[in-house]
Amino acid sequence: MQRKNKRKTHISQGSRRRKILPVVFLLFALLLMILPLESPVASIKALLSYVFIPQIRAAHATVEYASEVNQTVHTLLNVHQENERLKEEMEQLRLENAQAQEIFAENKRLISALDLKAPKGWTGLWAKTAYREPTQWNSVIIDKGSADGVQERAAAIALKEGVPVLMGVVIECAENTAKVLLLQDEDFSAAVYAAPSKEEGLLVGSSNGILKMQYLPVLSNLQKGEKIYTSAASSIFPAGILVGEVEKVEKESEGSTAPIAQIVPAANASLVRELFILTNQEKQEKK
Amino acid sequence: MTTVLKLFLSFIFATICHWACMAFFGEVGITVNVMLIFSMVVCAYLKPEFGYPTVFLSGLFLDFFGVKLFGCNAFVFTLCACAVYGLEKRLDFDGVIPQIISIFFLTLGAGLLNLLLLKVFTGFSAWSGFWPFAAGITLNAVLTPFVFKILRRVFALEIKIS
Repeated sequence: MQRKNKRKTHISQGSRRRKILPVVFLLFALLLMILPLESPVASIKALLSYVFIPQIRAAHATVEYASEVNQTVHTLLNVHQENERLKEEMEQLRLENAQAQEIFAENKRLISALDLKAPKGWTGLWAKTAYREPTQWNSVIIDKGSADGVQERAAAIALKEGVPVLMGVVIECAENTAKVLLLQDEDFSAAVYAAPSKEEGLLVGSSNGILKMQYLPVLSNLQKGEKIYTSAASSIFPAGILVGEVEKVEKESEGSTAPIAQIVPAANASLVRELFILTNQEKQEKK
Repeated sequence: MTTVLKLFLSFIFATICHWACMAFFGEVGITVNVMLIFSMVVCAYLKPEFGYPTVFLSGLFLDFFGVKLFGCNAFVFTLCACAVYGLEKRLDFDGVIPQIISIFFLTLGAGLLNLLLLKVFTGFSAWSGFWPFAAGITLNAVLTPFVFKILRRVFALEIKIS
């Protein structure tokens, strides 16, 4: 009973406090509004201003920081966009650079080609190697055809340091393109001679890239390092076109007593981009 | 004692937020009353013994930095606290929606009462236009759940006991 009474008293005290507190505060606030308190309030205001200066500063610093964050984010976004743009530009410049290098190399080759001023007075035209068939690596397609005056069995020549070098023969001719069989092909053959020994023989292609000079005289005195040129006896090529250099002379080879010379081609076919195709070859041969 | 210390530190933090918001949103003409939100959240979580003095002092604090009617904010805040304690049993302040709605209407009421008291006691009209007033109330309501969340963490122990 006593405990019950105590609890009741406690609850009633709490609820009374609940009611009294707001009334007290409201009355006090009302008094503050009504009473003329300008001078004491001004003094307290001045005091509080000093007390709360760090907080005001902190608040302003927060706002400034927030605005700076906004600016920083804006700058970062711009930087990202700029970065993307610069990347694109870089990619474009890389492509242009590659193209420029290609053009530079081509220009260099063409300058050396111009130095030749039509090799040995031959007439013909310059063609670019347009395509190389993966299945027939020893042949190339050029960008000139019968419409430009290219004919089958025409000689294809490249220039190496201003010297005309035999590269192959036109074997197929379309209107705007032609196929050139390179001299590395096993089906390629040409009558050639060596200088200075004057030994003549038949040059044939080989799959390993090293050419062979066959039908040499048994007592041939062909030496390593001799230059090989197309012979006047050739029915296709004009005489005097450099083919390569003697690498090795095999005095006796399998199934034959005649020596066979191994010839290193003067020009690497895979690096050749322009070919000089002889036209009016019959006339030139007569010359 | 711990509660008083927590209240004091929260009060200091609230004043910083109040000035920061005033400076930030003041540039676009919107008045955000963080002190009112803080006071109401304290009332929602703490007993009247802590709630009423906090609310009164928060109002008084704003009055000290106000220029017109001294005691006006203290009066209005205390009335709002009465409303919160009155609604305490009918509203669940843990839900976001009741938090937003209650503070929205309390801010609206406090704003109008402030205007009325200023007009009655000083003859001065502080009406800044409908849109800034509405934007201030809305922004107050939007900020409320965050303040509730922060203070819930701060007064977690006191909430458990009560």
